[in-house]
Amino acid sequence: MIIVMRAGSKRDQIEDVVARVEEAGFTAHLSEGAERTIIGVIGDDRPIERQAFEVMEGVEKTVPILKPFKLASRDFNTANSTVSINGVEVGGNKIAIIAGPCSVESREQLLETAHAVKEAGAIALRGGAFKPRSSPYSFQGMGEEGLKILAEAREQTDLAVVTEVMTPEHIPLVNEYADVLQIGARNMQNYELLKAVGRNGPPVLLKRGLMATMEEFLMSAEYILSHGNRKVILCERGIRTFETYTRNTTDINAVPVLKSLTHLPVILDPSHAVGKWEFVTAIARAGIAAGADGLMVEVHPEPEKALSDGGQSLKPQKFADLVNQVRTIATAIGRD
Amino acid sequence: MIVVMKAGASEKQINTVVKRVELDGFATRLVQGTERTIVCVLGDGRPKEGRIYEVLDGVEKTTRVLRPFKLTSREMQPMDSTVPLNGVQVGEPEIAIIAGPCSVESREQLLETAHAVKEAGAIALRGGAFKPRSSPYSFQGMGEEGLKILAEAREQTGLPIVTEVMAPELVPLVGEYADVLQIGARNMQNYDLLKAVGKSECSVLLKRGLMSTIEELLMSAEYILSGGNKNVMLCERGIRTFEKYTRNTTDINAIPVLKDLTHIPVILDPSHGVGKWAYVAAVARAGIAAGADGLIVEVHPHPEEALSDGAQSLKPEKFAELVQQVRAIAASIGRN
Repeated sequence: MIIVMRAGSKRDQIEDVVARVEEAGFTAHLSEGAERTIIGVIGDDRPIERQAFEVMEGVEKTVPILKPFKLASRDFNTANSTVSINGVEVGGNKIAIIAGPCSVESREQLLETAHAVKEAGAIALRGGAFKPRSSPYSFQGMGEEGLKILAEAREQTDLAVVTEVMTPEHIPLVNEYADVLQIGARNMQNYELLKAVGRNGPPVLLKRGLMATMEEFLMSAEYILSHGNRKVILCERGIRTFETYTRNTTDINAVPVLKSLTHLPVILDPSHAVGKWEFVTAIARAGIAAGADGLMVEVHPEPEKALSDGGQSLKPQKFADLVNQVRTIATAIGRD
Repeated sequence: MIVVMKAGASEKQINTVVKRVELDGFATRLVQGTERTIVCVLGDGRPKEGRIYEVLDGVEKTTRVLRPFKLTSREMQPMDSTVPLNGVQVGEPEIAIIAGPCSVESREQLLETAHAVKEAGAIALRGGAFKPRSSPYSFQGMGEEGLKILAEAREQTGLPIVTEVMAPELVPLVGEYADVLQIGARNMQNYDLLKAVGKSECSVLLKRGLMSTIEELLMSAEYILSGGNKNVMLCERGIRTFEKYTRNTTDINAIPVLKDLTHIPVILDPSHGVGKWAYVAAVARAGIAAGADGLIVEVHPHPEEALSDGAQSLKPEKFAELVQQVRAIAASIGRN
């Protein structure tokens, strides 16, 4: 349920409502808008006596949230929420482009890529130091050494660093170096990890699981939000279907559907979603045309030598082309 | 295999090659480019020896076509082929928009819709007279009566008619009224029907099956092309996946992938692709941004009263907005 306070309700009225919510055994989540405050009442499935709150001073009305996700729902926050990365409010009008290699492979590879993607217009650098690979025999990432290289790239380029964290006990370490913690597709339903990043401060980029429905995706976001971290960006990255010509099937429907179900920013990873570099730009254009707030793109200076995802990585000059094309689409729909 | 003739090869030289190939028991098809002619060699799986043709006068080289689809393949015909529709060459830069109701329900409903979609910028009218419904108890279409209404709408508006044919024996009847014969998703692998429309004078709009791979779609197109009908358009209309929030999952990857694999035009049906009217315009924009040559959109003056597909049908004024948005996207990628 949400409690909508009257425009101009007083601080002590809000505090009284919050106290009553907590007395009843629920948690109160405040969303302070420009005009009015909304109080999300979150708890187990026990029925809530709505009238008990509606009679309180300063309360305009109560509204039940019928969706299983509450804090993630648009009912809770009708305006778009935004997550600040490197001075850009992701979820606002400006398209945010995150780019970089799948994995940090070496200092040279990462720095070269970082400078190239910055030049082309990216606002943040991606690069995995801890890698969730399907095979235990594949390159597993450089670990802390990789994080240090990412931090050096940030120092040189001023790009924010987006990197994956795979397990709760690594959060403090990854946090030391990262600006945005990525939860990978395979960990979308690793609930202990979700709770842990929910309790920590930095923004989270949550990728949709390979076989996860949109509702499951939003429930995972709810885990993070309900543990206190409001800075969550959702990322559609393709789902598994019977079609095997492409690595995954970009669920382009998910872009407008998520934007209507949630206030959280939604970005698209066209690289994983199609899995072949020659189609990445077309899918990136489609994502922005469908209403995505940004993109996350894999870029490698020498894809043929990449230790992971070479087949879907763009060379820097192709990435620069992509950025130009995407900006044109953004302009056509009134964004920038 | 294809036999590529030298630029400026004489007709006599081409005929010699054709005769020689046919003597070996293979069928031939000529692709006449602006500079050179390609002789396509078609047959069963028997290996074809290219060298024996390479010694003939006027032959530049022979190339094996590795894909299982041949006439449909870009290897066979590198240039985009186009299908004429109401003065537009579908496959050229101009975006072709086909619109209309799912089913012809009455004279009033169809004529009202026809005038509205024409006004909004559609170049052809869709509307089913023979309907493949999941349930035998659902409205099955108006049959020939519906075709007559479609013909009347064409007379009044000048819009050509795109309508579905469900059985080989109905091809002559539907062909009498239709400009474009639609093969619905459920009939994509109805091979006798494909063979029948392959012999028709009408253009064909071939929709992808709900559970068909991209390669299977192209093999179905191959049935039509190999029957002699060159005017084939492919239509992505969403595939079945585990995601149930939307009716189907629009396989947006299929747009650039098909454009890469085949020379024939590719259009998108965003109405079936997502299945909820509120998201149709976003998915339509994505389709054009991804490189589709056109759209087929369901429009109904009173969706709440529609006998089929009401939930995914746009009202005429929403359709007009969609056209504006799509034109802006088209302009941003150098199309119109």
